[in-house]
Amino acid sequence: MMTDIFASLRGGLFRLRCRLFRPNIQIRKGLKVYKKLRIDGPGMIYIGENCKVCGIRGDHSQYVTIDTHSPDAVITIGDRVSLYAVRISSKFHITIGNNVLVEEAGIVDTDFHSVDKSRGNPVYESKEKCRISIGNNVCIGAKSIVTKGVNVGDGAVVAPGSVVSMSVMPGSLVSGNPAKQTTA
Amino acid sequence: MKNNSIRVIQNLKRWVREPSYGFRLTKGLVRGGFYVIYYRLFRRNVRIRFPFFAYAKVAIIGPGSVSIGRNCHVFENVFRGLTIVTLSRDAVVTIGAGCSLGGLTVRCINSVEIGDKTMSAVSLVQDSFFVNMDEAESTVNRGNAIPPARPLVIGNNVWLGGHSLVLGGSRVGDDCVLAACSVSNGIELKEYSLASGNPVKRALPIQQLLALRK
Repeated sequence: MMTDIFASLRGGLFRLRCRLFRPNIQIRKGLKVYKKLRIDGPGMIYIGENCKVCGIRGDHSQYVTIDTHSPDAVITIGDRVSLYAVRISSKFHITIGNNVLVEEAGIVDTDFHSVDKSRGNPVYESKEKCRISIGNNVCIGAKSIVTKGVNVGDGAVVAPGSVVSMSVMPGSLVSGNPAKQTTA
Repeated sequence: MKNNSIRVIQNLKRWVREPSYGFRLTKGLVRGGFYVIYYRLFRRNVRIRFPFFAYAKVAIIGPGSVSIGRNCHVFENVFRGLTIVTLSRDAVVTIGAGCSLGGLTVRCINSVEIGDKTMSAVSLVQDSFFVNMDEAESTVNRGNAIPPARPLVIGNNVWLGGHSLVLGGSRVGDDCVLAACSVSNGIELKEYSLASGNPVKRALPIQQLLALRK
């Protein structure tokens, strides 16, 4: 109860700070911040109503970080999204729908480096190929990774420990590396 | 009995050669002792057996019951010690004796049983599909149901490799080895086999591996 009140206060303060000092972050009302939230980078970030930012239970070193790596990057987070110790990192475009639960996952829409010897910026990446779009009512389990170019359909469930590198059909349950549909 | 006395004599010899080892052991024993007393006084359903050696932080959170056997050592591994999170009042976590736990995280909603002499690196043993199950169930309100939590049993003398995940419903046999970054989700592993991959497929019997090596 008290933690909820403190989280709402902390979220309200964060919203106020963003409104005053960081015009590239637009957060709607009702944000609750239970554990540290760190937002960095030059891109635009939109966070919807009644979102929740927490750490994962039992692990005090993990918190939520949202990074953008280019001025054109856009991260759009829908309403009633719960982020538990999630790391979101975007160079192009990441969209998260409404009513999503993400636990201890990494959502990264770029490789950051190319595979050739120079290890420079990957030239084969573009917004159309790399954008990540997570639908509504999705649950993503602990210690999973969502990589570039993935479209997670509505109502999908991603098992813990999976590496999602291909798009996920709506309403399916995927697990493994690479994440494939399982019946279990 | 004879093995035990041999080991004690070897330990004593090591104490004499390296006094810092003895000092570390004593420090671990004292810190572990504090944890034992703290949990016995303030959390009646958490029972850690003495002697308990704690070289890193031990965090036992949640309303369920936890029991840890004797002679367990908790090392520091990737900045973590032992973390046990019980997510419901009926959760039961049982860890056997002589375990070497460093960086192990256990998240239990139903029942998790870890055998004796388990060696674990930074691994996650999670019995439920999601840590916040009620929120997950209200989020996915149609279509594919989230698999319910099934009891997780890990046998004796199992080695959980680095960053491995053992998820709900798995039964890991005795003497198994789980390779680094392996994920076993509801999989039954036969005794004395080596499991690797995500998801774990075709565990290799270690007896045959050793024979091949020769």
